Amino acid sequence: MYAQAFFVAVFGLAAIGFGVVVFRTSSMVRSALALLFSQTAVGCMFLAMQTEFLGVLQIMMMATEMSIMAIFMVMFMMDPGGMGGMDMTHQKRFSIGAGVVAAGVTIVVAFWVDWGPVTVEAPDAAMQTRALGMELLGRSMLIFETAGVTILTAMIAATAVAIPVQARANKGEMESPE
Amino acid sequence: MTLAIVLLALLASVWLLAVTEGWTTTGRLRPAAPLLSGLAHLGRESIVPRTPDRVFFETAPVLFLIVAVLGAAVLPLAPTLVIADLATGALFINAALAYVLVAVIMAGWGPNGAYAMIGGWRFLGQLIAYAMLIVMPITAVAMRAESLVTTVIVGSQGSLWNIVYQPLGFMLFFIAAMALAFRAPFDLPIAAGELGGGVDAEYTGVRLAVLRLARLTLVVTLASAITVFYLGGWHGPLLPPWAWSLIKTLAVAVSMLLVGRYLPRIREADLMRWCWTLGIPLALLNIIVVGVLVLVVP
Amino acid sequence: MTSAPVMTDTGARRRQKRFAVLQKWISRALARSLSCLIVPGPEVALAHGLDVTAAGLRITGTPRDAGVLLIVGDLPEKMTEAAAVLYAQMPRPRAILVLGGQIPSSLPDADAVADLSQEALTEATERLRRALAESAFAASTEDFDAAVLNARIEYVCPMHPEVVQDEPGSCPKCGMDLVARDAGDDSGAGDMIPEHGHDHEHHHDHEHHHGGAPGHSEHDHSGHDHAGHDNGGNEHSGHDHDAMGFMSMVEVTRDLPRSADGLAMDWIEVPFGPVFPGLPGGLKLTLTLDGDGVTEGRARTLVGMANGDDGNGQLKAETFVERLASATPLAPVSYRLLACLAIERAAGVEDDPATARARAGALERERIASHLGWLAQSGRQLGFAWLTDRASTLQLGIQNASQEKLIELEPALQALANRLGRTPLLKARLKGTGVLPAGSSGLRGPVAVAADEAGDAWARLWQRLAESTASLDVIKSTGELGLPALRNIGHASGIGEATVETPRGLAQLNLKLEHGRVKSYKLDTACSHHIGLVAELVEGRELGDALVAVGSLDLSPWEVLS
Repeated sequence: MYAQAFFVAVFGLAAIGFGVVVFRTSSMVRSALALLFSQTAVGCMFLAMQTEFLGVLQIMMMATEMSIMAIFMVMFMMDPGGMGGMDMTHQKRFSIGAGVVAAGVTIVVAFWVDWGPVTVEAPDAAMQTRALGMELLGRSMLIFETAGVTILTAMIAATAVAIPVQARANKGEMESPE
Repeated sequence: MTLAIVLLALLASVWLLAVTEGWTTTGRLRPAAPLLSGLAHLGRESIVPRTPDRVFFETAPVLFLIVAVLGAAVLPLAPTLVIADLATGALFINAALAYVLVAVIMAGWGPNGAYAMIGGWRFLGQLIAYAMLIVMPITAVAMRAESLVTTVIVGSQGSLWNIVYQPLGFMLFFIAAMALAFRAPFDLPIAAGELGGGVDAEYTGVRLAVLRLARLTLVVTLASAITVFYLGGWHGPLLPPWAWSLIKTLAVAVSMLLVGRYLPRIREADLMRWCWTLGIPLALLNIIVVGVLVLVVP
Repeated sequence: MTSAPVMTDTGARRRQKRFAVLQKWISRALARSLSCLIVPGPEVALAHGLDVTAAGLRITGTPRDAGVLLIVGDLPEKMTEAAAVLYAQMPRPRAILVLGGQIPSSLPDADAVADLSQEALTEATERLRRALAESAFAASTEDFDAAVLNARIEYVCPMHPEVVQDEPGSCPKCGMDLVARDAGDDSGAGDMIPEHGHDHEHHHDHEHHHGGAPGHSEHDHSGHDHAGHDNGGNEHSGHDHDAMGFMSMVEVTRDLPRSADGLAMDWIEVPFGPVFPGLPGGLKLTLTLDGDGVTEGRARTLVGMANGDDGNGQLKAETFVERLASATPLAPVSYRLLACLAIERAAGVEDDPATARARAGALERERIASHLGWLAQSGRQLGFAWLTDRASTLQLGIQNASQEKLIELEPALQALANRLGRTPLLKARLKGTGVLPAGSSGLRGPVAVAADEAGDAWARLWQRLAESTASLDVIKSTGELGLPALRNIGHASGIGEATVETPRGLAQLNLKLEHGRVKSYKLDTACSHHIGLVAELVEGRELGDALVAVGSLDLSPWEVLS
């Protein structure tokens, strides 16, 4: 029990620590990977809280996602290595305000709400995985399928939006000499 | 105890693999060569390039080694000889190996050099190609075993190995595994002829030794994964279970090394195209076929 | 752990002793696992008939991985500078082994010197081993410093390449910190070997100069196109913090030119060569990369030949022949023949059919060996280890073979060709890569013939294999082979012209002879024309494809006239 609390605390602090690093560096790649390790630490918190499947899934998904984010940073930013010391922050006052309010609300809610009795014995990992599968392919199937298809549609739409701009520009160029 | 045995087996396999690699490239069988080469790396200067991202540069080799070993932690040598028999073993190995990408990107970005950087990002492109072909064949394996537990997966192959039950999945997974380990002909991130060593280019001394050890460990881990998922793990006559696991793992690992010798490096664009237009449809087909087999054949 | 003596700060005596034992073991290990970087390149070692691997040295392509700098033959001036940069990048303990040439003045004293022969190489390697085993941790490891390694540092704004200062500071236009880079010329103007030169980086600034070709310059498009964009636009949008609240990337990059993928600002200029595992040694390819696509590329040689009109060419005819042959290590027989023919014509010596046949045989033998050398080089570039091994072995076997021996090797050549035809992935790799633009001029040799087919790397591969077979047929009919040697010309004078179809295409030599001395000469080679094709071949290609395209031309930087 204490060991569990200890590890949750350690990984929680690591998540916060890496989260701070995200904003403390002007290297975009460092920033992206710090976010990755922050999320990995959250995944480890899941593991410490005996939700094995969620933890492993979180750890797995973040690696690829954050790496892809890093390359987009390199592609789009003028100083991705942070060697120019460019200030990447903006709207500081607003964001500090928003951060403080959000933290306050979260803490208040955490203490306010009645979380119910503590589960004495969590079901073992294999049972959890099974239950999760049953949930995903049972009651929640429609929700998840809808979400999945929506995301896919959004991706296709975004790509489609990106393409015609170029095509039109080409067409304009081709027509202009006439 | 289990931990020590598995790590020892891993080290022994890496050593044998390094000896075999030396044998095929130089034509001489020198059992001491890997140890000597390791020692020699300790004696060399460990150069840090000018204006590196020091954190990335130092972390990458270590992270690489750790994730390769973590991946091996869920793979059983024998029914009870496994470091962590996780309920989500087949998923966990995916999670661990995803961080190979992170390590390679860090190794690419860290030294602040063009060859290394291009190598690192090339591997991200390579991941987009192979990732699905790692996950989807494993899905079909888990479907047959009706479990993600690696020991149960091996158990499910007692009567018939998966290489026979789902040969398509085996082929796809083998190719994807080679791409993940960036062995030739998929060695785009380190391509000597194109990037002069790529992500390895700036590493010397101890760091290079760790990086090389990590790459060989990764090959062993992946070979072990192929053994567990497709070659019936510890199943086999006469010899004790652990011996079968080791023999199969080594055979797969050596074949992964040898294939690259006889092939030119694949084009990045071809890899991407073939993986997506051919590999993923085949992987889907594999899932469907296995699904039908699981339901129809008792 | 470094090779520097660390005894002084390791406390107790006992520990020192233990450390000494460890050092002994490490020294022995170092001596047993030697890897070498060959300057100018492994293809030159092969052409000299050296089997470096058999001598117990592992060949590596990068200085970081090398313990021995193996210098083969005499190096031209610019290559010695490149060798100094390479040496500086090698981790200590490091050694220099010079085979059959001068020790370059830019380098420290060689640890071993030997002749250009296999026995000498093996013997020198052993000597190097023993020396290393004894003194790898000698305290004499002084710093290596050479003039080429010193560079002036200047500071540049990542966004505004026109802002350059001698001191660190911030950019007057956008307020960003200035980034250090080495001052040097990046104009491509010249023959300056790019010392630590020209890093225009903003985030890639480091010491990896492959093959003496330092610095990857990462620069904005504007670095290329100073006049092309309006910096005023940047000034308004770029750093107007108060109005905008923050720097908008869209605003800042609005006026910058775009690359093919529509993104600004991700171009880097990367040198490949002059010592690069995928390219012939001495060739320096500078590619401007956009991601891993090539936006622009240019090639030049660091080991090219002087074209003879540089005045006092009062060379004895024999010396001239030797000079020309040794200046072209990748095709010495062809150029020896070319020189002999031209001088003999100038002297009015009659052609002798028997000599001509023997010479033709030797030329064709060199053609086969040269094409095999190209195959080995392609194998290195493509990561196709088997091909490199096989082609190198065959090349070493063919180089000095007699006619019977060559005819015996015919099945092996045939088997190699068959094997290449069956190799998976090879066709996909080469087909459609390096297609010459229609109407390319100045094509010669295999490149020209292949241009009539598909004109791609695949066609060039098969053209070279076909030529090797045809050469064998010629050799069958020539009788015994004989290396071209200058016949007695006495003190004749006259003007002579000769052409020889070298392995890389037609070479022509005009010379003027006065009293048995070469007064002046004019040379024309295939590679001088082919090197001009590089820019078009690489533009817009993926990096790997671009390098394969350049490799498929079989450029010999030695045969480029500078």
